Amino acid sequence: MTRAEFITRLRRGLSGLPATTIADIVADHEAHFADAQAAGRPEAEVAAALGDPDRLARELRAEAGLKQWEEKKTPSNAMAAIIALIGLGAIDVMFLLPLLLGVLGTLFGFLVAVVTIFFVGGFIFAAGPLTAPPGGPITAFLTGIGLMASATFVGSLLTLVTVGVFNAVVWYARLHFRLLKPAMEQA
Amino acid sequence: MPEAIEIQLKKGVLALCVLALLSHADSYAYEIASRLTRDIDMGEGTIYPLMRRMQSDGLVETYLVESQSGPPRKYYRLTAAGRQSLEQQKAEWAAFATAVNDIVGAAA
Repeated sequence: MTRAEFITRLRRGLSGLPATTIADIVADHEAHFADAQAAGRPEAEVAAALGDPDRLARELRAEAGLKQWEEKKTPSNAMAAIIALIGLGAIDVMFLLPLLLGVLGTLFGFLVAVVTIFFVGGFIFAAGPLTAPPGGPITAFLTGIGLMASATFVGSLLTLVTVGVFNAVVWYARLHFRLLKPAMEQA
Repeated sequence: MPEAIEIQLKKGVLALCVLALLSHADSYAYEIASRLTRDIDMGEGTIYPLMRRMQSDGLVETYLVESQSGPPRKYYRLTAAGRQSLEQQKAEWAAFATAVNDIVGAAA
């Protein structure tokens, strides 16, 4: 493989990462080729010594994905980290994914319930006092506020739990990813 | 099979070796990779994911040094956390090596 081919494949493998990260990684490998050339080594030999650029890209992606998730806990970063880890084989798709989907499904169910309760609360709060409810308008008013407050509270708990679940997955995968690496690089 | 064990061992001590090299002098990736390839027969590509991971773990930091030929060169140096990790891993390695040597020596 030539230097240009290696860099092209590496760059392609990294696509989707922030442009600065890709530029940084590509610059590292360009510098490697330049240093090797200065030492009188042929391009093909250096490319072979660096290993498969696709594999290298997958590993660098996973590392970058985990870092982004650790820095910023957004749903898209969580998704990116999980996908990168699956690409690396650090997450056993057959085993962990159904489990993860089950947990996420449950969390989503709770989310729907919370949103519903919030709106029901809102409705009772706004419309209740006008419909001569049992216990008088004040009771309906307070019930409405109470339901909305409870929904908000459970909603924030839900967010914390979701972040916790993803942290656990990332932690678990990272543990495996470090143990996995030797076997993978060998192939 | 013996090969597989050797690879596992090398991978296990790779981070320790990089930290130790950097504790003697700041260095750049090609120099670190060449040294590790020569002495413990590591794949050169291994160094880049490793250096990024060590950087995101806060064990090393980078700075640029102007060079006469080509673009500025990225050097790595140990952080305080890196030094601490080196000391800890060195102690673990020494204890492990002593234990293995004892067992292997006794078995011979």
